[in-house]
Amino acid sequence: MLKGKLKLPDKARRVFPDRLGSLVAGFNDDKDEEIGGYDSVFECGEELEIIHSNGFGSGRASDDVGGGDDDCDKVEEKKKMVDSGLEKWARQKPEKDGVGLVSVKEILAADEKRSDLEYELSQKEINLEKLQRIASTGLPNGGGLRATAWKLLLGYLPPSRDLWEKELIENRQKYAKLKEELLLSPTELTKIKTKVSKSDDQGADGDIDGPLRRHEISQDDHPLSLGKASLWHEYFQHTEIAEQIDRDLQRTHPDMKFFSGDSSFSRKHREAMRNVLLLFAKLNPAICYVQGMNEVLAPIYYVFSTDTDEQNAANAEADSFACFVRLLSDSVDHFCQQLDNSSVGILATLSRLAELLKANDEELWRHLEFTSKVEPQFYAFRWITLLLTQEFNFQSIMRIWDSLLSNPFGVQDMLLRVCCAMLLCIKSRLLNGDFVANLKLLQHYPDIGIEHLLQVARDLSPDTSSYRLSL
Amino acid sequence: MVLVLALGDLHIPHRAADLPAKFKSMLVPGKIQHIICTGNLSIKEVHDYLRILCPDLHITRGEYDEEIRYPETKTLTIGQFKLGVCHGHQVIPWGDLDSLTMLQRQLDVDILVTGHTHQFTAYKHEGGVVINPGSATGAYSSITYDVNPSFVLMDIDGLRVVVYVYELIDGDVKVDKIDFKKTAATTHSAH
Repeated sequence: MLKGKLKLPDKARRVFPDRLGSLVAGFNDDKDEEIGGYDSVFECGEELEIIHSNGFGSGRASDDVGGGDDDCDKVEEKKKMVDSGLEKWARQKPEKDGVGLVSVKEILAADEKRSDLEYELSQKEINLEKLQRIASTGLPNGGGLRATAWKLLLGYLPPSRDLWEKELIENRQKYAKLKEELLLSPTELTKIKTKVSKSDDQGADGDIDGPLRRHEISQDDHPLSLGKASLWHEYFQHTEIAEQIDRDLQRTHPDMKFFSGDSSFSRKHREAMRNVLLLFAKLNPAICYVQGMNEVLAPIYYVFSTDTDEQNAANAEADSFACFVRLLSDSVDHFCQQLDNSSVGILATLSRLAELLKANDEELWRHLEFTSKVEPQFYAFRWITLLLTQEFNFQSIMRIWDSLLSNPFGVQDMLLRVCCAMLLCIKSRLLNGDFVANLKLLQHYPDIGIEHLLQVARDLSPDTSSYRLSL
Repeated sequence: MVLVLALGDLHIPHRAADLPAKFKSMLVPGKIQHIICTGNLSIKEVHDYLRILCPDLHITRGEYDEEIRYPETKTLTIGQFKLGVCHGHQVIPWGDLDSLTMLQRQLDVDILVTGHTHQFTAYKHEGGVVINPGSATGAYSSITYDVNPSFVLMDIDGLRVVVYVYELIDGDVKVDKIDFKKTAATTHSAH
């Protein structure tokens, strides 16, 4: 019954009650496309009824919906609040950013979605398609729902709940072992080795004064060793990469306390991200570390370590590593310079974006390609390789990634659609701009309503000229 | 994990032309965090070369150094260890352990690095360590002509230091390792 509710926004927009018409005049779409549409604004009356009846529903193991009676009271209160809220609303200027104003209606809608999601996730066998559909409308912030949903969508957790425990433990152990093998400094490794082999000798040296005993070691075991097999040599080769990673991490999201600043809290997180990136670089010597990978890792790591489940939050590093690898496996070819001109490289993807734009809006495409000569290389490179993490604020990134990850045709497909939608949403400005203005606009993408953007992306017709069966 | 290179008594150009090739190939910039030099380089060019290896350079004056402004002794703290440097020709008898430990107590250091004898030695005494890295070029000393080129690399990690001894014997580099753990009590060494 409630599953049908998810389709309501579209219906409601066409059929919203008359008395609300004037109050929500400000939200009309006759303003240009930049205003974010509040999907949840319109279904005031209808939505409340559904919640009402659901309050007495049975069999739903939902954490935040309490007993039937409590729910009823809550709904009554909300109804009263909504009426007064509407009054205030009429006088308020509409917000540009779709995520800003927290309205009562949105709270209701969000609650709905949360309980839907929790229901889905509490099933023994998760229906991935249903999860994808729910996720593409946005996942709730806070709590562990987004973290679990992303893990499922990326394929890290298997669909059947019973196997979760086993999978998680296995993967976390694997990660710990990898770390031990590849990330420990040689000093620590030798410390462990000597602890194991000779403990009696140490004791003797410790007490007696006099000449210290010399122990012979192999040619590879010393810090200045140049041998390829030497741990030390390998370690020093990676210090350059490690330094670059450190530099990039310092610059990740400088406005967020989670990542930047000198608190031990943020340092711990940077340390964890550093380990993940360094490990990735060591395991993939062909691509190594490319500047920007830290930006792709940031949302994943943030979501996983703000998971309310303590176990998950503590193991955020291991989980983010696995999911980071999975996420990058699609787009890893974009980072490899040799593949730039090949059919899987970044240039091919950029031309696919251009084709998609052409298929959907030839006028804009023509204007960009020929009139203002703004080629995708100039702006979309960063959009595509960094999965849009540099174009929007953090909350919006998470919302967009919900849609990206939940696309049944894969992340790259949705990514191109969103990029195309980004172009379409500022069409009028682009058409009026020349090369310089357009480039400036595209490289500093303006704030627009995210829900609207994603709606446009969903509604795009796919580019069938180079259609390929992904997955 | 802090790498500290300790060397000295190169006597370039008077007694030796250059470091042995095998040593030079191992000493590349970027790996070492500090250099401690006991003295007798003897000229500025060697100082510049060591600067390239590592910008953090500590030198004490040896009797043949052309640069007169190096200090006689120097102390520095790296991690949990206090290190002291002195060339050693001031401490008489040359190379005598008891006299060197007097100097160590005077400077109040855990690890004392001295040279002048051109022989590698490492002694443990009352919770402190006295190290002589020998001569990095194998130059003859005031005492003997039979000198093997040697130097020392210390890996300081918390309360533990691993001393790697590099010696050129018969044209081959031999590396030995010495482990030393500092016990907390040694910070107040008994007199």
